[in-house]
Amino acid sequence: MNETKLHSRLREACPSGVGDLDTSAKDPFVVVEAAALVEAMVFLRDDPACAMEMLHLVTATEREAAIEVAYHLCSYTHHHSLTLKVVCPRPEGADQEWSPSVPSVASVYPSADWHEREQYDLLGVRFDGHPDPRRILLPEEWIGHPLRKQYVYPTSSGDIPLELDATPIYERPEGWTDPEHAPRAAGTPLVQPPNAPSARPHAGGKAPPPKPKGEGDEPATKPKPKPKGDGGAAPKGEGGDDMAAKIAAIKAAKAKKKKEGDG
Amino acid sequence: MEALEMYAVDDRADVYTEELKLNLGPQHPSTHGVLRVELRMDGEIITHSRCDIGYLHRCAEKIGENVTFLQFNPYTDRMDYLASMNNNLAWSLTVEKLLGVEAPERAQWLRMTCAELNRIASHLIAFGTYGIDIGANTPFFYAFRERESIMGLLERPAGARMLYNYIQPGGVRRDVDEHWVDDVLAFCDDFEKRWLEYNTLLSHNRIFIARTANIGILTKDVALANGCTGPVLRGSGVKWDLRRDVPYLKPYDEVDFDVPVGEGTYGTLGDCWDRYWVRMREMIESIRIIRQGCARLAEIGGDTMDKQMKRMYKTPLEPEAGEAYMRCENPRGELGFYVVTEGGKSPIRCRARAPSFCNLSVLDKLLPGTMLADAVAIIGSLDIVLGEVDR
Amino acid sequence: MERLIAAFSDLTGTEGVIPLSLAYAVCIGSLLGFITVYAMFAIWMERKVAAHMQVRYGPMETGGWHGWAQSVADALKLLFKEDLFPRDGNKLLFFIAPAVVFCGVFAGFIAIPFAAGIQIADLDLGIFFIISIAAVEVVGVIMAGWASNSKYSLFGAVREAAQVVSYELPSATALLVPILVVGSFRLGDFNAYQAQHGWLIFSGPFMWIAALVYFIASLAGCKRAPFDLPEAESELVSGFHTEYSGMRFSFFFLEEYASMFVASILMATLFFGGTTLPFNLFDLGNWGDYADAGRLAAQAAAANAPADLVAQAARAAAAVGPFSDLGNILAAHLGIVVLLLKTFFFIFVQMWLRWTLPRLRVDQVMAMGYKYLLPWGLFAVMGTAVWETYAA
Repeated sequence: MNETKLHSRLREACPSGVGDLDTSAKDPFVVVEAAALVEAMVFLRDDPACAMEMLHLVTATEREAAIEVAYHLCSYTHHHSLTLKVVCPRPEGADQEWSPSVPSVASVYPSADWHEREQYDLLGVRFDGHPDPRRILLPEEWIGHPLRKQYVYPTSSGDIPLELDATPIYERPEGWTDPEHAPRAAGTPLVQPPNAPSARPHAGGKAPPPKPKGEGDEPATKPKPKPKGDGGAAPKGEGGDDMAAKIAAIKAAKAKKKKEGDG
Repeated sequence: MEALEMYAVDDRADVYTEELKLNLGPQHPSTHGVLRVELRMDGEIITHSRCDIGYLHRCAEKIGENVTFLQFNPYTDRMDYLASMNNNLAWSLTVEKLLGVEAPERAQWLRMTCAELNRIASHLIAFGTYGIDIGANTPFFYAFRERESIMGLLERPAGARMLYNYIQPGGVRRDVDEHWVDDVLAFCDDFEKRWLEYNTLLSHNRIFIARTANIGILTKDVALANGCTGPVLRGSGVKWDLRRDVPYLKPYDEVDFDVPVGEGTYGTLGDCWDRYWVRMREMIESIRIIRQGCARLAEIGGDTMDKQMKRMYKTPLEPEAGEAYMRCENPRGELGFYVVTEGGKSPIRCRARAPSFCNLSVLDKLLPGTMLADAVAIIGSLDIVLGEVDR
Repeated sequence: MERLIAAFSDLTGTEGVIPLSLAYAVCIGSLLGFITVYAMFAIWMERKVAAHMQVRYGPMETGGWHGWAQSVADALKLLFKEDLFPRDGNKLLFFIAPAVVFCGVFAGFIAIPFAAGIQIADLDLGIFFIISIAAVEVVGVIMAGWASNSKYSLFGAVREAAQVVSYELPSATALLVPILVVGSFRLGDFNAYQAQHGWLIFSGPFMWIAALVYFIASLAGCKRAPFDLPEAESELVSGFHTEYSGMRFSFFFLEEYASMFVASILMATLFFGGTTLPFNLFDLGNWGDYADAGRLAAQAAAANAPADLVAQAARAAAAVGPFSDLGNILAAHLGIVVLLLKTFFFIFVQMWLRWTLPRLRVDQVMAMGYKYLLPWGLFAVMGTAVWETYAA
């Protein structure tokens, strides 16, 4: 059976809630309403003509307007497959805390158990009726869902301060900080909107403009001598407080530099 | 009556043993990486188990959303680092599906041959480490000897020994040298003899059979419902192989090979030995495929990279908005990539269906009631790679 | 031992405590030296055997020829390593456990006859002593497992206790068979008996069964593969010595190799002719006696002993015939060489098995001990009794 026939058969079984088949996509999919999802799944699994024994994948995708959850089903008996989708539109003024909810299909397909946990973990989609709704990959005390576009990177994990793009500690000379490689300020999102060119070189954006030769050719990882007077040479072994002081010093240096640049 | 009840309580107090909580992992010799299994034990017998994964989580999917389509190719190497050819293949096919291009014929045959070579290398690791799990150290070194030759062969076109980044959207990075095909064929002859040696050393060893047959029985229904694929599913007797049933590369349609399934030779269908034996026989089937691939490679010439793609490589690929789901038969099962793009240079969602992840989810159902040593045997027979489970 | 005491009392001209303690010191020192050197050699041998079975070379650099000094280097490294101690462990038990473990097997060496006369104490119940003193090791292992405050260690210790205690039954039963034939528990008697009557293994069909049962049970007793459950590295990380490091760890290592030696030398002495060559070639077993007699004669001459002793020495010297005194000593040592060669052959077989076979599961090990080895051992005992009564 191809997707069209499968779709029409599914529609006969549960007329309410099953949308049209989108055949323009590379893998034709059916949009199903959240309320009808479990019913449709049970039908697809138990109907001998469909016999979808396996739920391959549960994927949540965040778009501008909605979060979609896609279910890839396939049948080993009949060698056909079908994609179902549940669309959760983003309400007006929803912030990054917004988490849509979809009924869990772990009772129909046990394989959905871990997939749904992963989607909850990384995208914050809640699956109602899930037998074990915990995080799966990240630690249980983690805040936020990293695959969301507006995800704000944490500044610390427990007692350990987190720096992004930092020069590894073992590469730094004693008491050295690289002002050009300052840690990303806390609270800034890592990711730009999907289509905006990234500020990082080669990360989906345009290649960085060629630098004039001789100047700034130094590799970024090469430790530079610390500019005098900025932040002060930290005495050895000051511990955790030292880190915060350093970060503050770097910020100050950055601001100063910017000011100079503006002026 | 009261006296009787009192006795009953006393009896239980006598028999009662304290439950022991044992953390198998994350640092443990037999968890094949940083898997942690929380076991509740009654003596040597496991009463309850809970898998804890994520110790090797690198959020490859987030990386996928931040790099271009081509730049993500090397990251797929790092998922299942024992079968990176196959991972490259799956990603390349997904991107090709999005772009609507197809690799030239020679590239297709090269892809198949390299992927099968890598499958053998991956199964060799499974074989060797499984021996170590059961307590036989020597097969591991035998397996590594052959794996070494395979890595040497794959190094010649790819330039790397483990993380190849050789198969790319549009074809393969470059052609093989003129002696490569002969060397591969020589390796095939050699390997078949070695394979028989493995079986006398380990496969049909009485102790090995006693340790693996009738252990960790995974029935067909449970395997299907939990999304197990690959040798784990075939070990339970389901004759399903994407290479045969949904040939994702044209050459798979043309070559002749069998799909080995478990038969319950020494015990019940779907036990550890069946899964192990499926892997062993798959190696020989791969040798058959490689032989046919080499025969064809000697005949056909031509490009190894799609011309249109080559032009596209000058700027980052920009497929038009859409989505594609592509799955491939990896050594560990079906690897699928689901990519959603809205027309940019990088996808907005890059989801990997890791076979090890799904195969591992069945572990909690297999462990209760078995002994600690069986737990090691079962984890080994699922043949997981934590780099892929956690991504 | 008696001879040493006598020698020292002659040397110092005193009786009692001083020669006794001197003799003890010499015995213990030489045994310790022997065990250490042997263990280093055995570890090197194990690595070489393993390597060549696994298509590699093993240590090749340290010391020049085939890395012979690798074990020495490792021992030195272990000596200088930090002695780690688990924070919540039981300090006292943790520290004395390796010593207890080592004591058990060390004491076993006392009763072993390397050749006639070269033995610290020829105990009347030599075999019995070795079996029972080896059980002390279990106490040490349980102490180690308990004191480590680690679940893996505890598992290893409990497994070891169950396994070693269970396998003492079949091994002791199998050892009864040669005892039945020879009629003595004294280990020295076995050498003498086999020098006269040929190897015990050829004395009847049941002896083969007994030898096999004893060998398998001794594998389990030494925690060697396929019975290395107490330290099963793929399940229990390292078993009861997971938390040990440095010198204390090396004691466990020494103990393992020393107990392999004891098991193998018992196997060689009780079943495979001890110091004799097969079919009594060259009459090696009796050479020791001749040498002994020669030495006695020399001693007697030196000490102006009574006449009957001199006469005995003269008789012995006559029996020795053409051999010079030096030759006597050489002959006696040939017996040792033969015995050690046999011992190392069995040690090699143990290594061979370890690098070939997978590991059994704990219940399978128990089943093997109680369901197969013990009945077969009993069968061999009864069969030998019948055989000795009617056939021999």
